[in-house]
Amino acid sequence: MSVLKGKKKLNIVKDWREQPKSIEKFQFVHHFLPHPEEKRRATLLSNRAIIVYCVAMLLIAGIFRFLPKIVPGVLGYASDIAVKDLLTYTNVKRKEAGLSELRLNSALTSAAHQKADDMFKDQYWAHISPEGTEPWDFILGQNYDYIYAGENLAKNFNNSKDVVEAWMKSPSHKENLLSPNYDEIGFAVVNGVMEGYETTLVVQMFGRPRNAAQVASVYEEQTVLEKESAATAAVSERKPEVEGVPGTAEEPVYTPASPEKPAIDVTMATKTVSAIFGGFVGTLLALDVWYSKRKGIHKFTGHTAAHLGILVLVVASIWFVLTPGIVL
Amino acid sequence: MKEKSDVHLVEYAVLATLAVIISLLFYYFRYNHGVLIFLSGVSSFAYILWGVIHHALEGRLTKFIAAEYTVFGVLIFFLLYTVLNF
Repeated sequence: MSVLKGKKKLNIVKDWREQPKSIEKFQFVHHFLPHPEEKRRATLLSNRAIIVYCVAMLLIAGIFRFLPKIVPGVLGYASDIAVKDLLTYTNVKRKEAGLSELRLNSALTSAAHQKADDMFKDQYWAHISPEGTEPWDFILGQNYDYIYAGENLAKNFNNSKDVVEAWMKSPSHKENLLSPNYDEIGFAVVNGVMEGYETTLVVQMFGRPRNAAQVASVYEEQTVLEKESAATAAVSERKPEVEGVPGTAEEPVYTPASPEKPAIDVTMATKTVSAIFGGFVGTLLALDVWYSKRKGIHKFTGHTAAHLGILVLVVASIWFVLTPGIVL
Repeated sequence: MKEKSDVHLVEYAVLATLAVIISLLFYYFRYNHGVLIFLSGVSSFAYILWGVIHHALEGRLTKFIAAEYTVFGVLIFFLLYTVLNF
């Protein structure tokens, strides 16, 4: 038996000497499969290879950070946020908490629009502008005389529900959303370029008028909603004509929100990058488990199944749990 | 032999419990990117620590294995950070 084995081994060596390509093939295969003789993982799963993947991901993240500075508006956050949905979700949350529904007010809506436009114009993301303008200045600027007022901000979200859910998860924003001190509300959902990224800003302004008789009527609320949807539709239709109009280049790029997509959706791009690297390493780990079991290879390494399990969990979290968006 | 497999079971149960707790925390804080980045760091560190302790208890901890868990921990962090950074 041992003689035969020896002969077989000699034949293999002879074959390899005659066919150098088979050695190349053997070496290439072990970029993806574990080495039975050296008792180690595939070359592409070596510690050095993993470090290379980490550096590559850092470089890609760096490009996503740097690109908007060179080509503003190419990267962005796709969104489909509507004032009507924001109002509905807000009032559902208030109803669940046993509070009265808020009425959409035209003055608060105008104040919210002014705030969003000001943030795009001066490129800031804060409750108080760099010039010191406070949210109350925008509200008072619309001749809205209030006893109580408040402001919630959000940016980079995909949809209306996530915006309201994110506010509800933050104690200070939830306090505004579920405050019994407010009777009225105003929203602005505005698209524009912020720090080089195409994004959607959401401004939510709350108030209680000094004169209780001034609370918006159902008719006023309906008028504001119709105006908002008309403005969104008009922007969607008008946009191709607006582009290239002389004199617009120096002005800040911002428009009322319409469900548009940027050239590259940064959320999808980063998720895809993570899924590609995670999926590639995960596939190699799965191959390692299968091939090692099949060939009876016992390697002097960590637990491949543990690495694989954690990696699957991480990639699943990236796709199904992580959502874009920041509230302030 | 049976005792060794029991110890293995306990160690894997610890890893599974950690994974479930961190997944639940991830879901709960899904809108707070600052907390999520912190949780990603904690998860990576916890995984490295688990790997090192597990192999040390098995009596087969080497510098190479410790380095392997470290690079996998770092990879997990970067996979999450690439998405959370935006």
